[in-house]
Amino acid sequence: MRLPLFQCLSPRSTKEALEILDRYEGKVKIIAGGTDIINRLRQRLLKPQYAMTLKGVSDLRGIKNKKGHFLISAATTLREIVESPDIAGFAAGIAESAGLVAAPPIRNVATVGGNLLQNTRCLYYNQSELVRKAAPPCLKQGGKSCAALKGGTRCFSVYQGDLAPSLIAFDASVVLKKAGASRTIPVLDLFSRNGRHPLTIGDDEILTDIIVPIPKGVYGSSYRKLRLRSGLEYPLVSSSVFLSLSSQGVIDRARVVVGAVGPAPTVVEGAATFLVGKRPAEADIEKAAQSAFSTSRPIDNLALPGSYRRAMVKVFTKRAIEGALLGLRKAGA
Amino acid sequence: MEKNRVTLRVNGEAYDLLTYPHRTLLEVLREDLHLTGAKESCGEGACGTCTVLLDGAPVRSCLLLAIEAEGREVTTIEGLAAGGKLHPLQEAFVEHHAIQCGFCTPGMILTAKALLDAVPEPTEEEIRRALSGNICRCTGYAKIVDAVKAASAREK
Amino acid sequence: MKELSVVGKSTRRVDTSAKATGEALFTADLSLPRMLVAKVLRSPHAHARILRVDTSRAERLPGVRAVVTSGDSTGEKWGVFRYTQDQAFLPSDKVRFIGEEVAAVAAVDEDTAASALDLITVEYEELPAVFTIDEAMKPGAVLIHENNPGNINVHVKIDVGDVGRGFAASHYVREDTFSAPEESYFQAEPYAVVAQFDNAGNLDIWMPNAGPHLKAKPLSNCLKMPLNKVRVRKITIGGAFGGRSEISPADVICALLARKARQPVKITYTREENTIATRQAHSMTTTIRTGVDREGRVLSRDITCHMDGGAYSSTGPIAVSVPFLCMEQAYRMENVRYNGYRVFTNKPIRGMMRTHGRAFACGIDLQLDLIGSELGIDPVTMRLRNARHAGDYTPTRSFVPSCGMTETIEKTADAAGWKEKWGKLPPFHGIGIGCNSVQTGFPMGIRGGSTAFIKFNEDGGATVISGVVDNGQGNENMIVQIAAEELGLLPEDIQIVTADTEVTPSDPGSYSMCETFIGGNAVRLAAVDAKEKLFQIAARVLEAKPGELTARDRKIFVKGEPERSIPVARVIRMALSKGQPIAGEGSYWPKVDPKREWVENPFGQLSETFSFGTTMIEVKVDPETGLVDVLEAWASQDVGFALNPKVIEGQFEGGFTMGGQGGMLTEYHVWDGGRLLNPAQLEYRLPLAPDMPKIHSIIVESNDPTGPYGAKEAGMSVAMSAAQAYVSAICNAIGVPIKEYPITPDKIVKALEGKKKKA
Repeated sequence: MRLPLFQCLSPRSTKEALEILDRYEGKVKIIAGGTDIINRLRQRLLKPQYAMTLKGVSDLRGIKNKKGHFLISAATTLREIVESPDIAGFAAGIAESAGLVAAPPIRNVATVGGNLLQNTRCLYYNQSELVRKAAPPCLKQGGKSCAALKGGTRCFSVYQGDLAPSLIAFDASVVLKKAGASRTIPVLDLFSRNGRHPLTIGDDEILTDIIVPIPKGVYGSSYRKLRLRSGLEYPLVSSSVFLSLSSQGVIDRARVVVGAVGPAPTVVEGAATFLVGKRPAEADIEKAAQSAFSTSRPIDNLALPGSYRRAMVKVFTKRAIEGALLGLRKAGA
Repeated sequence: MEKNRVTLRVNGEAYDLLTYPHRTLLEVLREDLHLTGAKESCGEGACGTCTVLLDGAPVRSCLLLAIEAEGREVTTIEGLAAGGKLHPLQEAFVEHHAIQCGFCTPGMILTAKALLDAVPEPTEEEIRRALSGNICRCTGYAKIVDAVKAASAREK
Repeated sequence: MKELSVVGKSTRRVDTSAKATGEALFTADLSLPRMLVAKVLRSPHAHARILRVDTSRAERLPGVRAVVTSGDSTGEKWGVFRYTQDQAFLPSDKVRFIGEEVAAVAAVDEDTAASALDLITVEYEELPAVFTIDEAMKPGAVLIHENNPGNINVHVKIDVGDVGRGFAASHYVREDTFSAPEESYFQAEPYAVVAQFDNAGNLDIWMPNAGPHLKAKPLSNCLKMPLNKVRVRKITIGGAFGGRSEISPADVICALLARKARQPVKITYTREENTIATRQAHSMTTTIRTGVDREGRVLSRDITCHMDGGAYSSTGPIAVSVPFLCMEQAYRMENVRYNGYRVFTNKPIRGMMRTHGRAFACGIDLQLDLIGSELGIDPVTMRLRNARHAGDYTPTRSFVPSCGMTETIEKTADAAGWKEKWGKLPPFHGIGIGCNSVQTGFPMGIRGGSTAFIKFNEDGGATVISGVVDNGQGNENMIVQIAAEELGLLPEDIQIVTADTEVTPSDPGSYSMCETFIGGNAVRLAAVDAKEKLFQIAARVLEAKPGELTARDRKIFVKGEPERSIPVARVIRMALSKGQPIAGEGSYWPKVDPKREWVENPFGQLSETFSFGTTMIEVKVDPETGLVDVLEAWASQDVGFALNPKVIEGQFEGGFTMGGQGGMLTEYHVWDGGRLLNPAQLEYRLPLAPDMPKIHSIIVESNDPTGPYGAKEAGMSVAMSAAQAYVSAICNAIGVPIKEYPITPDKIVKALEGKKKKA
């Protein structure tokens, strides 16, 4: 099927890209890797007048080790993340996340920024016009009620990005630039938790860089994802865990982030309380995972029943914690 | 709506084209250059039949705008056989019965080629992982894996 | 049998080099001068009266060359049988499913065609719709077709022996109900059509098909053109799996547009359209009541099956029957009753797909496991005790001339190490078995046979002309191997002209698994015919009797005396110089009962022969997630004779993946009323390379008395037996029966929780 008609702009630098966004206020959609947005264009979920491709912008790629943090430019491909010895060595959970996205050919062009900024998804929303036009528009399409939870007035579309939970687990931030201004916010604040407008980035902004602080001392991280097959799938639930060890040999910092249960990744504050201040035993891991279960309320709007996915939040959180503990041990605990 | 001027380098040759910006690389290859080896099977980048190599790496040409391929080297299945002689991978696919209906074959072969270029002697697991984004409905993948293994040994 | 030189060897297929280089042209790859692009306008309503269709604005759009609606069609209704003719392409009265064709536009490019669709206004009067079998059968439910009360499309009723007496005499009786939503074919190639009329009104049309002759006749009916003007042409086809046998609305729409526009027209379906607007498999619920004696032998069986057929009949009577027939062939059952119902709903149309109903086949087999469990008999023994044997008659009175069922069970069990593993595997590991049987051809009236011609070139090459069609399974190569073998030539000497209704004689198509048996036999007979003529001439030259001759490696020679030989090419030239050129002709019509009818008279010889098979797999289940890891698989089938072992292995491996891995773990459709929510590959999960286990293929040969070289069929059996093996193994691994398919991980977790609660 053809894409809808649009004019395409091809800036050669970030500066040029920002000028374009400014000039064509609100009428431009960004194509980074394209592996997410091209599908949505083909389904006519959006019909922008202009598309701006970042493929010719050379200053938006690269992973820089800046002593104390990594500066990952937003158009870095997922493959580059997977193959980066720095990321694999210092931010295993992030490398794991990137490596579990889709399949190798997708990862060859999909970008970190694009993966982060993907729109929320739902079986009832991500359809072509043939399917969508056979029913009244749902909330996310601007309609009056939810199609998944019939009559519901809240949008439960799911944020299924694999990278975000791990970036949040690592306390990463993003740099958002627009013509003449720049702001840096935690990755967690990119999300509005509103399925209808899930991202807080402005129409006139470009996400240019991701800052990942390199933790000090001994730490481990892991990302686990539920999918039915060994590739090509968005997560049906996911869990990313970061654990660091104090000099006394107990956990001093724990971040448990659950993905793909609602419109935004969720930091499970309660989970940390069962892990911090000790060397977690099985019972502690169980309680932390149970906490993740309690805070997650997926509905029946993806492939498998929400109740099953909810139960899997616990299982995958447990496994991510175990993975992070393994990473801790390998790091010399 | 204006057309864009774009020069595409495909299989070592340069093509000067005039195309509407919303056309994908897949469409331009098939319709303007009549290179019909790359195909559309899913329309959402999930199946791999549209695979071409972009600077040697397998990508979904249905998810790329034609104009985005300017300045890059595009390799399609038609560019593999040199001087009428089958590439070792093509030969292996035929020899090992890795082809049934043939619709997924160009994408599968190109993806396998990129693997062997990077990892000359892959393990079975590496082969399957590299091909995890290419769907075949006919073969169950068994003989595709055999063919890639055979081609890797041959390339030695 | 003489020692074979070509047949029986895994020779390279003749069609795959072109596929490897990308040169092979599929329908969507075709480009004809001045070709237009067409798109179809589809109904957004599941059930609605069509009040008005206004195409005037679309017709005026620059670049639009033709628009068609119901007014352009003859109103002819399609149905595989005269008594199931219920589908008008481009209907004038009602639409019956979301996606049904209402109008179509041909324009200079796709963007213009798409814009033109937006300019067509259709006024509908929405009607109530029914989306499930229960809703459709409820008293007072809206009727989808006025002549079908209760929305019952087909009722097949078979009652053999005395089921009641059999149950009374049984030592143990149990009843189970199994169900599954629909699956879909997901052929790699989405449907497409190219149509062109020439100046003399001849139609050339290309589309992926499972039998060009099966397409030509209905096209000639729908377009009111004589058959010799309807030319369905040869094209490379990207898979069929049972979903491309019938004429499609797209075929007629494309032809109508081409005729109206007086230019060639191409329609390319999106993946979505291929899923919604061609065919899907049936969803079904099957209740099976089985009674056995102390040894687990089935004395009586009563089966009721309801299948959701979607909005039109399609192959209705056949689709309802085949699931039962496969099982009555596979297992002995003296007393059996079958009530099969196909029910209309306002959903896309359902056809027949390889596994022919996982809820049926897996139900029969899992129940044997469950019965065995009650009686202390292991699954393999249960199968052996009930297995079909050569020389039997099936309950509906088909004679079984060759049967390797027992051999497939024993060999598979042996290869899989069944004895060492059964009951001895670690927790959450399981091993399971599935057995089935497949027909080799159905009664198809005047379209049930195949004819082939062979012509020769003076330098010794030959061309085989046959209606046999290749969907990717290797049928073209089969023809070459058979002709080369019989004529004593090499494969590279054989050219083929196939699957083109202008040139090739009638053939049933790759429908009902009959191409090898019927089409292959016809080619063999044509070659034998030619060979006899060659031998007449050669005999005189070699001073021998024709019966003493044989042919091999391009030479005809006296058996046992290879020096007394003459090249085939010379004999051909000699014939030419005598003014008596050699050509071969052969026809094969299966010996089936012409009076057998699916509904009216479901008795008599169904196919001339049957194939049989067994699959076993070993699995490991993750009890926390319910995800299944298939560790290893053994797939076997009595194929009669392996014409090309590697080709057959490919069928086993592909069938296993489709019927087993996909069909039982991940493939199913999700609906919102009549809206299909997973029509494409992101959400309809097809198996991937890293998901697949090592598959050991075990070819069993029972040497059928009438199959070509003893061959039967090899394309369908493993899909079904693999599906059954998956269920058997998983249920064994978790110790709980699961009767709703596919076995997605949530079902396993739920089953394990249920088991824990009971304990």
